[in-house]
Amino acid sequence: MDAILHNLGLGFEVALQPVNLMWLVIGGLLGTIIGMLPGLGPATGVAVLIPLTYGMNPATALITMASVYYGAMFGGSRASIMINTPGDASAIVSCFDGYPMAKQGRAGSALATSAIASFVGGIVGMVFLIFFTAPVAEMALKFGPAEKFSLMLFALTATITLSEGSVVKGFLAMGFGFMLATIGIDGQSGAIRFTMGIEALQDGIDFLVIMIGFYAIAEVFKNFSSLDLRYDVDAKSIGRVWMTGEDFKRSWKPILRGGPLGFFIGVLPGAGGTIATFLSYAIEKSFSRKPEEFGKGAVEGLAGPESANNACSCGALVPLLTLGIPGSGTAAVMLGALMMLGVRPGPILFEQHPEIAWGVIASMLAGNIVLLLINLPLAVPLVQLLKTPQRIMLPMIVGLAYMGTYFLNYANFDFVLVSVSALGGYMLSRLSIPIPPLVLALILGGMTEQAFRNSLTIANGSPMIFVTQPISLAFLVLAAISLIYALKRHRKLTQV
Amino acid sequence: MNRISRALGGAVLATAVAASPLAAFAKDWEPQRPIEIIAPAGPGGGWDLLARTIQKTLTEEKLVSRPIIVSNKPGGGGATGWNYLKGKEGQGEFLAATSPLLIQNNLLGKSELTYKSFTPIAALMTEWEVVAVRADAPWKDGKSFFEALKAKPESMHIGVGPALGNDDHIQFLTLTKAFGGDPKAVKFVVYPATAAEQIPALLGGHIQAITISLGETLEQVKAGKLRLLGVSSPQRENEIPDVPTWKEQGIDFVFPHWRGLIAAPGLSAEQKAYWDKTLAKMVETPTWKKALENLQWELFYQNSEQHAAFLAEQTELMSSTLKDVGLAK
Repeated sequence: MDAILHNLGLGFEVALQPVNLMWLVIGGLLGTIIGMLPGLGPATGVAVLIPLTYGMNPATALITMASVYYGAMFGGSRASIMINTPGDASAIVSCFDGYPMAKQGRAGSALATSAIASFVGGIVGMVFLIFFTAPVAEMALKFGPAEKFSLMLFALTATITLSEGSVVKGFLAMGFGFMLATIGIDGQSGAIRFTMGIEALQDGIDFLVIMIGFYAIAEVFKNFSSLDLRYDVDAKSIGRVWMTGEDFKRSWKPILRGGPLGFFIGVLPGAGGTIATFLSYAIEKSFSRKPEEFGKGAVEGLAGPESANNACSCGALVPLLTLGIPGSGTAAVMLGALMMLGVRPGPILFEQHPEIAWGVIASMLAGNIVLLLINLPLAVPLVQLLKTPQRIMLPMIVGLAYMGTYFLNYANFDFVLVSVSALGGYMLSRLSIPIPPLVLALILGGMTEQAFRNSLTIANGSPMIFVTQPISLAFLVLAAISLIYALKRHRKLTQV
Repeated sequence: MNRISRALGGAVLATAVAASPLAAFAKDWEPQRPIEIIAPAGPGGGWDLLARTIQKTLTEEKLVSRPIIVSNKPGGGGATGWNYLKGKEGQGEFLAATSPLLIQNNLLGKSELTYKSFTPIAALMTEWEVVAVRADAPWKDGKSFFEALKAKPESMHIGVGPALGNDDHIQFLTLTKAFGGDPKAVKFVVYPATAAEQIPALLGGHIQAITISLGETLEQVKAGKLRLLGVSSPQRENEIPDVPTWKEQGIDFVFPHWRGLIAAPGLSAEQKAYWDKTLAKMVETPTWKKALENLQWELFYQNSEQHAAFLAEQTELMSSTLKDVGLAK
């Protein structure tokens, strides 16, 4: 304990050096701006800014990259809330309720909630990172393919419970998502599946392209009928960027629940922000006394996942700092940049370069505060956007969406995919087939399949491995409970 | 030799010396516009790091007269970027990072492209392959491990990533066969996220060994958590002086996990000569040496001619190994 506090003191000494503090602010600001652009997530943001770090000392470089990473996470939800266009997978959930809130004229409140929830989640995550890194890293090792498969199954069934109305339609959407996920080269057998000879499909479908089509462009189609309407907003309240008392009362518990949940999921190898945010959303919906408001602007549905997302990014640093292996795409980019500087994170980083390891941790604590201070004032001009007439706003969204699509992979074929999925997304919403289960199945499909096969390989073909491993069994039970809950709720709804 | 003839000889020599740069000037090729190095993958991977390290070295050491752009063109396991290069026939300003995957993707039937679709330019660096087990595992060397594998293949699960048919996989198949086991009986567990999943899976005891490049394991080895059974380099590596090579263990198997450069098809001899000259200089510079040291890469330089011969030989080797297990047709 004393040692930890001593090290943290050492870390703050590094983090609060003027040059590091300066880069913290610059990195956070650049990251926020990058994160706001659709299609540019934290990983690309860090990669683009790597040349900035040439010639810096390793601690400053890592602090700069971490603040860009963090800034992009803060900024990512801006685009979700304002124009229904997620910047990366973990910002998808922020669309569910953030965008409806903005449409109701509560954009200021949504932006403030998201910034504050991110801040608290980040702080909770950092505190966990400081005190529990070693034991948690040990625990995460117990997590094998069977556990991973069962966790993903749970996340998927929990998402079915999110679906409005028919459970059958939820399953339908999930099945469709799995089908899309099988497109591409199968890593295990090398077989090329369902690409119809199109080379661009060999790597599979990038879910972010589908996302942009389903959410941003499909939303434009939906609004097409109301071209000359303005958002139904109160001109006075629009400028206020702060949470109302009611918002606060409804969100503080989700925010506090989201933090630890996000952190632990972040630590697990290969799980990541998507599962954390979707699970947090499902949990908040089942705890809520007003579940019917979810998807229509429930502040809890924004607050919980935002907190989980930032805590998750702290969790993802645990494998990077303790094992030297990146827990996320962004962490991988950071690892590459550090190696170019001659520092290799790993189990002995804390002993060999405590000033780097702890400097980064301390600077992330400081960075959270800096980012909150950057993001709240930044929201003021953003909410003014809502005063823009639809005739101007909608074409801009389409332009941004196509630009973001190209930034993702620089692939021309993605324009076809985004257009097709925009039409598909519009049709699904007309048929009231829920989109979240489809999206989650598309993201997790490949991983779920591989975890299933790996479990069976390790068990020499016996499916008993899923129930004999206690952690796996626990997740399966949770999955069953969430399914029963969904069916019951559905029956109640149809009886009324 | 009398004075006159000596003077004459001197004059002839002087003329020759004076003439040669002129002649070379007329014949030599130089890039006529910005140089583009294609990393056929996203930022952060091995190809991207190589492209950016070359860009940094050539620029900082002022070895080229034109600016260098690195462009990331991910997709199709490299195919997207390489196809883009293929369309630049005869243009010497376009290069792409490459690795054994160029050979393997073709053998596995994933891609039509082979090294013959391009102008091989150079191999530049390599990493070496290892087989790692947990530090508390009973096996101390290749022999004891592969004998245990031969006796009970169903009790040994081997982590490989991101997909079968790559260098890591080929190393393990070759070793299994060389130690007398059956490559087809080996139970491979595939981890698409590579080391990020393989190392925790090994440390957590879910699998018994991983086949992987040395650099990915080094920190764990130094921390005393993993043991390396052997390395595919020709001599022992400095960072791991206690780990014997496969060769020392009686297996004639030296296997680099190299990366290099290819250029568009149909480059002229002058264009090839330009890159041979420039890259041969580059690999001797302090900037390059320092970068390699930081990235824990080893110099593995082959000029365009040597590299073409090497690619042919590697294709042969990999083809027969992958056919053994039914992955290649």
